[in-house]
Amino acid sequence: MTVDGPRTATGERNERLAALLARIALGDQRAFADLYRLASAHLYAVAIRIVRDGALAEEMLQEAFVSVWHHAGTYDVAKSQPITWLTSIVRNRCLDWLRRREVDTEPLATNDDDAPAWEPPSDGPSPVDLLLAAADAQALRRCVDLLESGPRQAIALAFFHGLSHRELASRLHEPLGTVKSWVRRGLATLRRCLDAAGGAQ
Amino acid sequence: MNLSRPDRRERLDRLAAEFALGTSPPRVRRRLATIARRDRVVAASLSEWERRIAVLADRVPATTPPPRVWRNIETRLGLEADRVPAREAGWLRRIAFWRALAVGSLIGIVVLGAAEWRRAPVVVPAPLVVVLSGADAKVGLIATATRGERYLTLKKVGNAPPGQDKTLELWALPQAGAPQPLGVIPQGNVVRVPLQNPVDETLSNIPTLAVSVEPPGGSPTGKPTGPVVYSGAVERMY
Repeated sequence: MTVDGPRTATGERNERLAALLARIALGDQRAFADLYRLASAHLYAVAIRIVRDGALAEEMLQEAFVSVWHHAGTYDVAKSQPITWLTSIVRNRCLDWLRRREVDTEPLATNDDDAPAWEPPSDGPSPVDLLLAAADAQALRRCVDLLESGPRQAIALAFFHGLSHRELASRLHEPLGTVKSWVRRGLATLRRCLDAAGGAQ
Repeated sequence: MNLSRPDRRERLDRLAAEFALGTSPPRVRRRLATIARRDRVVAASLSEWERRIAVLADRVPATTPPPRVWRNIETRLGLEADRVPAREAGWLRRIAFWRALAVGSLIGIVVLGAAEWRRAPVVVPAPLVVVLSGADAKVGLIATATRGERYLTLKKVGNAPPGQDKTLELWALPQAGAPQPLGVIPQGNVVRVPLQNPVDETLSNIPTLAVSVEPPGGSPTGKPTGPVVYSGAVERMY
């Protein structure tokens, strides 16, 4: 699925990344260094937002690149944009790390300790700002606009800060059930809209 | 729980969406990741949602990581040098080494040849050398060619066979773009890989060659499908 505008700098970058991944699959270290130069700042920014700790984000980025070196051959250009593929690897590393620490309780045991001991950085754009910024690509913009404010905020916080249902409920001061249904509805709306947009291209 | 059953697709879709967004409880997350390893439908659903969702990250303002991150990656992977500029030096050192070796061999040939030149075949140092080594830096193959020839001569140095029902395939890695297949490497210690065009044309814009493990007859897709066992820089002496 592509939610991309016309051929842009992003498109060119993706072509370059795809070519580099093909070479990395063959063990080309120079291509690997080039990929790091091109993509690490974006991926580090994604990681740091989710794990909310610079040193930890560095560790996640390292693990992600080690994984890219070993699995570049599994990247399929027909299935996803390279930056999307790379972002997924980084996000999964971060989310796995976050979730490993979490006590697996569901339904929610209401407990003040559940409140996340952090605040989003006040100087940077908020998760909702970022969601809207990502939505600059027209198709995505239209889809994000379809989200009501609750689902939009829940999805933005979950996506950019790696909050679980439980943490979302605590942060948004809403019952767990409400938050879960916001997420569910929001994702369903995005899916319908993005797939329709993708199919139309 | 068989999530790939058609009547459970809706449930799978929701679980996959929450997995990709990252909101699934840890137990569900672990469970789905495990199931995805053996169930292709589940795996496809997860990666489809990951693609859909990752688009949202497009506009996160970039933050350059500290230089130690790259150094650590190289250390963890045992890559050639500890940082990028140093690696350039590494490549140069390697070229210098092979040049010195080529010149040394030439001198050796001349000295020995003085005594035995009548019997010895005339040896011309190949003007193109590629030393293909594995991740452990051990040399596995040496490719040589002389300008104008339509083949590469490969000498196997390592003793790692490709394994049962596998072949080794040689690839040219251009500066940009996809790897180009050069051909399957035949069995034997010194073998030739035929080329369609003279070697200096075929490799004119190719900085690196690599060897991957492929099914018999070579990669079915035209792209490398198996692990890369050796790679090396193309050193030209012309």
